[in-house]
Amino acid sequence: MKLNGSEIIAECLLEQGVDTVFGYPGGAVLNIYDALYKYSDKITHILSAHEQGAAHAADGYARTTGKCGVVIATSGPGATNLITGIATAYMDSVPVVAITGNVTNDLLARDSFQEVDICGISMPVTKHNFIVKDVKDLANVIRKAFRIAMSGRKGPVLIDIPKDVTGALCEYEAVKPEPICNKLISDKADFEAAADIIRSCERPMIYMGGGIVSADAAAELIELAEKLDCPVASSVMGLGGFPQSHRLYIGTIGMHGGYETGKATDNCDLIITAGARFSDRVAGDREKFGKDAKIIQLDIDKAEINKNVKIDYCLLGDLKDTLRGLTEAVDKTERPEWIEQLSQWGKNGQVGETPESEDYAHPYHVIEAVRALTQDSDIIVTDVGQHQMWVSQKYRFEQPRTWCTSGGLGTMGYGLGAAVGSAVAHPEKRVVLFTGDGSFHMNLNELATVCSYDLNIKIIVLNNTVLGMVRQWQKLFYGRRFSQTDPHRKTDFAKLAEAFGVKGMRIHNDSDAEEVLGQAFADNKPVVIDCRISPDENVLPMIPPGKTVDDLITEME
Amino acid sequence: MENKQIIGLFVHNHPGVLLRVTSLISRRGFNIDSLTVSPAAVEGYSRMTIRISGDDNQVEQFINQMMKIVDVKNVEALPDDNSVASELILVKVKTDGQNNNDILAVTSKYHASLVNLGESSMTFRASGKPGEIDTLVSELREFGIMEMARTGIAALENGDNCLNKDKE
Repeated sequence: MKLNGSEIIAECLLEQGVDTVFGYPGGAVLNIYDALYKYSDKITHILSAHEQGAAHAADGYARTTGKCGVVIATSGPGATNLITGIATAYMDSVPVVAITGNVTNDLLARDSFQEVDICGISMPVTKHNFIVKDVKDLANVIRKAFRIAMSGRKGPVLIDIPKDVTGALCEYEAVKPEPICNKLISDKADFEAAADIIRSCERPMIYMGGGIVSADAAAELIELAEKLDCPVASSVMGLGGFPQSHRLYIGTIGMHGGYETGKATDNCDLIITAGARFSDRVAGDREKFGKDAKIIQLDIDKAEINKNVKIDYCLLGDLKDTLRGLTEAVDKTERPEWIEQLSQWGKNGQVGETPESEDYAHPYHVIEAVRALTQDSDIIVTDVGQHQMWVSQKYRFEQPRTWCTSGGLGTMGYGLGAAVGSAVAHPEKRVVLFTGDGSFHMNLNELATVCSYDLNIKIIVLNNTVLGMVRQWQKLFYGRRFSQTDPHRKTDFAKLAEAFGVKGMRIHNDSDAEEVLGQAFADNKPVVIDCRISPDENVLPMIPPGKTVDDLITEME
Repeated sequence: MENKQIIGLFVHNHPGVLLRVTSLISRRGFNIDSLTVSPAAVEGYSRMTIRISGDDNQVEQFINQMMKIVDVKNVEALPDDNSVASELILVKVKTDGQNNNDILAVTSKYHASLVNLGESSMTFRASGKPGEIDTLVSELREFGIMEMARTGIAALENGDNCLNKDKE
């Protein structure tokens, strides 16, 4: 069957089971959008307000479904606008295929209108990228791109396609994708060796990360933890990968993690790390992290072994397989004393509650009130900053793929796009976006998308009128010199929402929070809630950068 | 312990593969002092030989990171005591009309051949282990080196082991 390049793109997307793409049209992708018009009964295209929003939407779609996200943008600025979104996905190992148009082959390398070397630009933030100069290569490149994005440690792949290729005719034959099967590198002897280390230790803890969610290995992790009677701490990326109501869950680990997890890290004699990478936000002091503990690391990416922290033993392969192999090899154990010790630490190190105020709501109160209105399967999205950490501390996550946050890159402006992607993927669920006034100002243009598609997103702007996280660091480490973090903008987010065609509401203080949230959550319509919080609220506890739990800050002015 | 390690890469000869490798070296902060690329024995593939400075952990990271590049098919550290490494140099030495024999006395020790005689210069070609070339250069510096070009290192492991073992 002879098709043009754009029809081949559409057919190849269908081969991969893609039914939804995000994007923004433009000159170099006119042919592709013409094909999308033709295939509109099979592929839904969600139009964003800005390509960055579309990239974050594809990312949110991927995180909450486990499928590969797809985003399409035109050449030049369309392509460069994707970069922050692609880098965000790369840092958090999220599978996204980005398709960009480019100028025609004969105009390439001539600084033509809207020409940019997007392959060169995106190289450090993609797993791989392609430029397809011949339509004969197109179908196979698309198939390869999906395979690369979804196999091993997942991540974004970019395909750049000159405009003439999208119009050229070529023979096309459908190919059914082969299931992705990640090679298990560790064998029985490795599992036995790891089990021997575990047997020799008395106070183990599990430090889990986003890999558990990415590998769909939550059930396998619960089995291991229960068999070992081993407490579990999660990185921010791992949230949802282990039910927080489980008796073995002890909290998030790292800079704004709990006192309990910090003490556990310092006092355990074994850390079993699963799908986590000892980032500087977890292992602030790489030398002292788990200083008295042996470390066993389970990961699919060999390059993560000994990258940040020296480990004692590694198990390599898909986490589902390595967790099963390890669980089989270990003995059923009970450790009541260790568990009791941990719960003692849990009772200490509590952060003091802020007194109730007429003028402000307390972020923890709002987060807990939202939790009372949501199901375990509802999706929580955040932007980046103080609000993100408060949600990671206080919201009770029970299921994988219910949490979307930019953990690695820390992209302010990520949230609304990601919420769009999550809501498009899950019309049956409620999506809640917690954002801050700083983050929301960055990409609130996507409110237009929320309104156009009438997406069920409850947007809660924790509005302190300051850039709170940076301001908190200025308080702690820069002598309270609040350089450019006190903008006190006058934006009325409720009115702004109305201008976009979205309902706007306000929370003034703790006493009206429940009522406003109750109304906001009563229907399936989008809403923006401007929630006033104090500019002096801090994220606590806090381990200062480069330090350990011994230097934990639990109180600030 | 800081040491120098020669690493062989067997890569798909796709456009941009050199950029992928060098970009990774740069952003991960690896220190290299030599990089050569040439066609491999198998059509469609190239062989890169890279010498890096670093401790064992950095060498391990280098290999693991390189293996993540899709176009890189195999990476191996070539053991110092079981590999042959060689490099070629062209070097133009300044002469003053009096010292030609002194220069030739040095170059003959390294089996360097005189390939051009200029009005006030002699150009030599030599090949050998990277360390030998280094000492040749330092000896010639005493006469004054006007310019030189080194190819970088080519290296193969001794015995039957090949980087491209799966591709034949």
